[in-house]
Formats: sequence, structure tokens, C-alpha cells
Amino acid sequence: MSALTTFIKSLVITAVIALVGGGLFLYSGLYPMGADVPHNRLTYWLLETLRERSVARAASDIKVPSDLNAPLRLLAGGADYNDMCAGCHLKPGKTESDFTLGLYPAPPNLTLAGDEHGHEHTGDTENDDEAIKRQFWIIKHGIKASGMPTWAPGHDDERIWNMVAFLKQLPELSPDQYQILTARGQDSEGHGH
Amino acid sequence: MNMKTLATVIVFSTLGIALSAQAHDPKEHMKDAEKPDCAAMKNMDHSKMDMNDPVMQAMMKQCMNDTHHNDSEKDQAQADHQDNEKSSGEQHSEHQH
Repeated sequence: MSALTTFIKSLVITAVIALVGGGLFLYSGLYPMGADVPHNRLTYWLLETLRERSVARAASDIKVPSDLNAPLRLLAGGADYNDMCAGCHLKPGKTESDFTLGLYPAPPNLTLAGDEHGHEHTGDTENDDEAIKRQFWIIKHGIKASGMPTWAPGHDDERIWNMVAFLKQLPELSPDQYQILTARGQDSEGHGH
Repeated sequence: MNMKTLATVIVFSTLGIALSAQAHDPKEHMKDAEKPDCAAMKNMDHSKMDMNDPVMQAMMKQCMNDTHHNDSEKDQAQADHQDNEKSSGEQHSEHQH
């Protein structure tokens, strides 16, 4: 019984020390908050795991439309991607921008296939489906403290799905194909933008 | 809250919702809209083009629209030109009378 009491006492003392220590560290201002100093590995892992688990749980119930390969979706989504996303997530033929160099964490280069920018989802239908749901959720809701905004205000689900449809094809596009697909041109009204 | 205040609140909140729904309207981008460079399609390797590929279908659609637009511009220009010729011809014949 006394061994159990000692164990509980130790546990409480450890918890109090951790709380007080954590509080002191929090208020000391010692943690580097600048985007030019990377997180330490533990913090990075904690934040990344928190983000990925949260997005995966929240996106799991999303229903993917069956017509994601429709040409009109590519045209509508391409024009929006070019206007809203290409500055951070790049376009074919571009490898960096002020945003990719300056944001931390750096926005993923979406002209690369999933496994090349850190998400292994190519070649596996189930994983591809998860990746599609994940993209939709992230575009719609954004990600806290990452530079990724929520596009839900002012953009309905159909418009966001159009962007997801375009993202699916983006890693395969040449600069010429990208230009043709993303130009709003004169006929964009007819594309249902 | 009297009816006047209630009506004002409803009008402003409806206006707010309507304006936020129009946020980032694609028309905002039309001023600087780039035209598709459909001439680049001619330089692409046609043997590797798969007509069932959604990217190819989307490009065809985009460039078909562009071609139609250019055609209609040309037609309009031709029609204008013919109208001008016709009216100058009429003017010319009027001068002859």
C-alpha cells in the first residue's frame, strides 16, 4: 500500500514540476517564433501528427463526386488554382516563389506527385481517395497557423471540387498544358466559373 | 425593438450575406484574364495524345471555345467590312446620281 502511495506521490510531483516548468518556459519567451528558425524535431513531429490525424478524421466522411475527371471541372478548377494557389503551391516549370522560400512550414509543391511532396498516395486507389478527400477538406477549411486559408467563405463545395479535380491532374501537366487549362480567356463564362 | 430597427437589421444582415457570397467572383479576374495559348497545341506530340484523357478533352474544349470566339470575331469583322463596303458603294452610287 505504501509503495502505491509513494508511486502516486511521485506521479503528482512529476506532473506539478512539468506543469510549472512548462508554464515558466511558455512565459519566458525563449521559444523562437520566427518563421526563419525551424521547429525542433519533437515540436515538428507533434504538430505534424496533430494536423494529419485531425485532417484524416475530419475528412473521412466526405463523399467524392464521381465526375472528377470531367473536362469542365478541370477548366474551372484550373483557372481558380492559377489565381488563388499557384503563388504558394507553384505551377509547372516553377520550382520556387517568395512564398515557398519564406513560409514555414513551406507549402507543398503540388506540381509534384503526392509521394514527392510528402504524401504517399499514388498508385493506390484507396489512398488516392483519401488524398482527394484530404485536399478537399484542406482547401475548404484551411490549416491553422500554416498560411493556408479557408476558402469556404465565398467558394461553394462545387467550386472547391473543381480545384481538387485540377490538382489530380496537375503533376502530369506540362507548362503549355497548364497555360491552356488555367487561362480564363474570353469564354470562361461558358465554363461555369 | 420596433419594426423600423428590426427591418434595418434584417436589410443590413441580408446585404452582408449577399456581399460575402459574391466574394472572389471569377469576374474579378477577367480584367487581367490571360487567353489560352492554343497555338502551343500544334507543337505538341500528337501521337502521344489520348483523346480519352480528361486533360486532352479539357484542352480541346478550351481551344474550341477560343477558336469559335476568334471565328465569331472574324465573322463580325468581315460583316463590318462588308457593311462598310456596301454603305460606301451606296454613297458612291448616290454620288453618281
